[in-house]
Amino acid sequence: MTTTKPGVDAVIIGLGWTGSIMGMELTDAGLDVLALERGEDRTKEDFLYPKPADELKYGVRLSMMQRPRQATVTIRRNQNEMAAPQRHWTTFHPGNGVGGAGAHWTGVLYRATPTELSMKRFADETFEPGFLPDNMNIQDYGVTYEELEPHYDFFEKVAGLSGQAGNVQGALIEGGNPFEGPRQNPFPLPPLPRTLTDTLFTDATRKLGWHPYPYPSANVSEAWTNPYGMQLGPCNFCGYCSNYGCLNYSKASPQTCVLDALKRRDNFSYRTQCEVTRIVKSDDGQTVKGVLYTDGDGNEIFQPARLVILAAFPINSVRLLLLSEVGKPYDPVSNTGVVGRNFTYQLTGSVDMYFKRHRFNPFINAGGSGQVIDDFSPDTFDTARHGFIGGAYIYTTQGPSGAIGGVKVPPGSPSWGSEWKANAKAHYGHHMMLGSTGSNMAYRDVYLDLDPTYRDPNGDPLLRMTYDWKENDLKMTQFMGDRMRDIVGELKPDYHTESIKRVGDHFDPSHYQSTHLTGGAIMGTDPNTSVVNRYLQHWDAHNLFVLGASAFPQNMQHNPTGTVAALTYWSAKHIRERYLENPGPLMSAQG
Amino acid sequence: MATLSLFAVQASASAGASSDPDTLARGAYLARAGDCVACHTAPDGKPFAGGLAIESPFGTIYSTNITPDTHAGIGGYTEQEFAAALRQGKRADGANLYPAMPYPSYARLTDEDVHALYVYFMHGVEPVEHQPEQTDLSFPFDQRWGITAWNWLFVDQSTFTPTPSSDAEVNRGRYLVQGLGHCGSCHTPRGLFQQEKALNEEDGSEYLSGANLNGWWAPSLRGQPADEEGAKVSGLAGWSRDDIAEYLATGRNAHSAVGGEMTSVIANSTSHLSEQDLTAIAAYLKTLPAEGSTRGNDSDATGVAKESSTEQTLTRATGLDAGARLYLDNCNACHFASGTGAPRVFPSLVGNSLVNAENPTGLIHTILAGAQLPSTPKNPERLMMPGFAWRLSNQEVAALATFVRAGWGNTGGAVSAEQVKDVRETLNEQPGYSGAPTRYGAKTSAEHATDNQTPSPSKD
Amino acid sequence: MTDQPNNWQRRTFMRQSFLTIPAISAVASVPLSAWAQDDTPPLSEYYPRFFEPQEWAFILAATDRLIPADDNGPGAIAAHVPVFIDQELAGDYGNASDWYMDGPFLSDLPAEFGYQLPHTPAAVYRLGIKATHVYCQRQYGTSFAALDKAQQITVLEALEAGEIDFNALGVADLPSQSFFAFLLQNTKEGFFADPIYGGNRHMAGWKLLGFPGARANFLEWVDQYDRPYPLGPVSLKGLQNR
Repeated sequence: MTTTKPGVDAVIIGLGWTGSIMGMELTDAGLDVLALERGEDRTKEDFLYPKPADELKYGVRLSMMQRPRQATVTIRRNQNEMAAPQRHWTTFHPGNGVGGAGAHWTGVLYRATPTELSMKRFADETFEPGFLPDNMNIQDYGVTYEELEPHYDFFEKVAGLSGQAGNVQGALIEGGNPFEGPRQNPFPLPPLPRTLTDTLFTDATRKLGWHPYPYPSANVSEAWTNPYGMQLGPCNFCGYCSNYGCLNYSKASPQTCVLDALKRRDNFSYRTQCEVTRIVKSDDGQTVKGVLYTDGDGNEIFQPARLVILAAFPINSVRLLLLSEVGKPYDPVSNTGVVGRNFTYQLTGSVDMYFKRHRFNPFINAGGSGQVIDDFSPDTFDTARHGFIGGAYIYTTQGPSGAIGGVKVPPGSPSWGSEWKANAKAHYGHHMMLGSTGSNMAYRDVYLDLDPTYRDPNGDPLLRMTYDWKENDLKMTQFMGDRMRDIVGELKPDYHTESIKRVGDHFDPSHYQSTHLTGGAIMGTDPNTSVVNRYLQHWDAHNLFVLGASAFPQNMQHNPTGTVAALTYWSAKHIRERYLENPGPLMSAQG
Repeated sequence: MATLSLFAVQASASAGASSDPDTLARGAYLARAGDCVACHTAPDGKPFAGGLAIESPFGTIYSTNITPDTHAGIGGYTEQEFAAALRQGKRADGANLYPAMPYPSYARLTDEDVHALYVYFMHGVEPVEHQPEQTDLSFPFDQRWGITAWNWLFVDQSTFTPTPSSDAEVNRGRYLVQGLGHCGSCHTPRGLFQQEKALNEEDGSEYLSGANLNGWWAPSLRGQPADEEGAKVSGLAGWSRDDIAEYLATGRNAHSAVGGEMTSVIANSTSHLSEQDLTAIAAYLKTLPAEGSTRGNDSDATGVAKESSTEQTLTRATGLDAGARLYLDNCNACHFASGTGAPRVFPSLVGNSLVNAENPTGLIHTILAGAQLPSTPKNPERLMMPGFAWRLSNQEVAALATFVRAGWGNTGGAVSAEQVKDVRETLNEQPGYSGAPTRYGAKTSAEHATDNQTPSPSKD
Repeated sequence: MTDQPNNWQRRTFMRQSFLTIPAISAVASVPLSAWAQDDTPPLSEYYPRFFEPQEWAFILAATDRLIPADDNGPGAIAAHVPVFIDQELAGDYGNASDWYMDGPFLSDLPAEFGYQLPHTPAAVYRLGIKATHVYCQRQYGTSFAALDKAQQITVLEALEAGEIDFNALGVADLPSQSFFAFLLQNTKEGFFADPIYGGNRHMAGWKLLGFPGARANFLEWVDQYDRPYPLGPVSLKGLQNR
């Protein structure tokens, strides 16, 4: 039996970064807002020292994450394979509970470059016709860097972004990233102090003629009070960052940056352990009328709402749209339909160097600590010459931080016994990593749909991911591998090992790759090729807004959170300034 | 426009439509300034319905219901009767109130403010038909007439008059501090008969000179300078007006963060006051010279002569004694080797009045139970310090507290395990903020469970 | 709602206002002593929650081979790794409480698809130890625990290489290398996880590496380049090892 609750002005599905931000914006506008969170409540009391300093619980058993038993995804590499479920998380770590991925993220806070938001236009202007493969589905975001800039700027103040600007109002600044888009303001806070790996990387890349700069970090370098009056304290490099809640109020998260301010508001409330199972369509064919959810006691509840904000993790948003039959599912054969289209991921590579002469103390690190070069971004060099479109940033960060995950032994040596033990002891603290984090283009046969076989405990189909690496992106990764080898050549370690994908390799979800799952409910200006318009408003239901990285038409080289947040503020601005006064489509199908 | 109303905020229903809204709002504001809710609300009780148990050696005093309910509350009070209760501690039936009610301070209130408060309590507060437990003291303390003599001796019945030599801002601050704020209740030492030794600055320089409250040091609000020994600063000598106003608005500033009883004062009272009033309070407090000094407190310089060897030892992390090692294992994450923490987030331990207080109860309590900053309109974040009662033994807390009280030029004395034991025994009646970890996936039903693998939670 | 008065402080404050004699204190509560060394009982007094005696004998012997005590310090036995594994298998991990364990199970998929066996970790151990026992009985005529060290290493190497056919020994859907992978991974977890989980006793694993455990603050050490960090570890419970 379904119980119907009293209606609200707006219901928000998921209380992570985007849900919290939209909660602030809509309560500011006077709306009565309810957030429904599938996972448990998490407050700063859950992160008090020393609770988070538990590698087994958080780093290995992944206690901050969505439980696969609750809902997982199935994965296959092509349409001929049968997809198999991720029975426990390996390749990515979707967050769960209040704070969502924003509570356990690393704290690397980037903007997109102007080019990355207009990739199709850039490609058309840059490459010869026929250069791009036929099955590549790249598109523009439909929103420009100039339009998003004020929202990036505001979120960076919310998060206390620490680092060094490279381009303030067009003026290039030494020590920052000269390839970034112009920002109206410098970073709110100076960079974090430099580790030994940072200094080695900086020296080596400078010698190579490149432009190293500090990671833009949302682990703050100094005490900070944000525009909501929320506060962050200086990061102490505790080493428990990615996969962990922050024990020091240093990592920007919904908990440290938004939620105590939001919870003070009388027109905001939230319920945890409430899993939304359907968005319910109205009979008018143009709107939705609320959501169905199951509460912690297993009761099914209908929550009427005038505005529905889908603010879940990207793969969960796409699945809920498919289950709710809002929007036409994507069909890869005819290349029609939209929900599930343009699913993309992140192309990563890494090098591990051993230095007998250096002592790194790898447990001393912060998620947002590190040094980076952007010299090989999509528009900073002639990628066509190397046979691809796209780019990557190359970086170092000190680590790995834990003990269970921190042991490294020479390649080919035993993995147990006395020799392993001697190697573990001798090699600990002598490793330095290099990584490349790169763009991923969208392809016609890479997409999300509902799995025909596997179901969740409610009996609903799991989401199925059909994903493989493609030649264009593998060439890009190979190129970045060569650049990392250049750095290895400068640094001259005693030995190094490489994990760099080659053309012909197939997606390997048995190892951690990245949690930057993007696309599947993408934004754009054409309802035939996007799920939401440039304001993140659903084309088929004008009172449904879909936030998050599911909106990315293809993935950029940089980490998604900054753009996810900026798009949320952008969407909120148009809801507040235009939609509330005149509910209806914010743009016509023609653009 | 029709669609706009779709999303319009619902106006909250007002309880008292019969009185003029400006007076009502002012009354509500003044009730905040007086922090009436703090004593007249029981734990989990309705606001102003009374019933908070105040323990005394003579028996338990229960606060009264001051909602406008005619039977259980003060709904039957005339404005004159209300004023008498507020200013003279006289109940409508003529009996004396116990001086747990700060009527010696409220005596200063102007007629206009008493009127606004009356309007608020009659029309702005939800009546609650709840009769709180009656105060039942044993003889001779049940004889309320004895208070008459106390009142005659210690209560100045005159209402506030501005001091001509002060400007309007200072006079406004003086009125708030001495009257509704009743700051002296905690910050002025008490005499033999539990009377505040001074009710205003003319009454004596012990006014607001700091007092010991159940072992916690309520610091001097006067211009107490740093003494010659070094870091020990009491009073507000190192705080600017803005620092004081910020502290009252948010419970935190560049120097310090609130702890103990003041936490609830900031949450329920001062954080709701206007910036103008908070600045006035600050302006007045800065006129108070150090105890025994005639010079004004116009200095903003901190008197901390910080010495660097503590920081060097902690940074080197070698040759540590037990206290220093415990500091690195438990405190350094936020307060750092420098001891100075970070402004507004992690309070500095250097020259900190809680750390340096003669009686270390407050410090020990904070180490054991942790602390939480109040959520305020300006700074909503409930920053928490974890308690370490579950992690540290009495000996360890003593070593740690002794280290902190001697480090960086601090001048607090050594702390004994016995003192820690005494404070630990009081913990069960107060909330704490524990960082005690819980293991991933531990099952409690196993037959051969080994309890020693799991840390005991501190409480609850 | 957000501003419920925090009345305990007011209560104690008012009490003090009237108090002239110190309160009579009750008998002291027993404080935890974190400074003292770990007081967990010796392994010989540990009663396994999950393992049967024969299984327990296997775990003791196998983990001792995987991380032996030697010149580089204590091994898995001194660190109580078997206790860790036992407790993990008796809890949510052993029961795969968080894992997606609905069928069908496609056990012939390439390794890239990750874990696809139909067994919980607890079942992997139960079945794997059973199959290994049958193997040792057939091959050596005795149990794994009774073999000499060199023989034990030979058996473990065979498990790791997938050379022992569990199917032929009566255990289906479990390659020997999968069993070994669990055993090795959990052994290392038990050596390096916080002592709160029963292993890493006296923080032996952390001492091997120079890992400082749950200290979790190093701001002053970020720029102390190429200097070994001098302090021993601290555990979640506050135990120290120099």
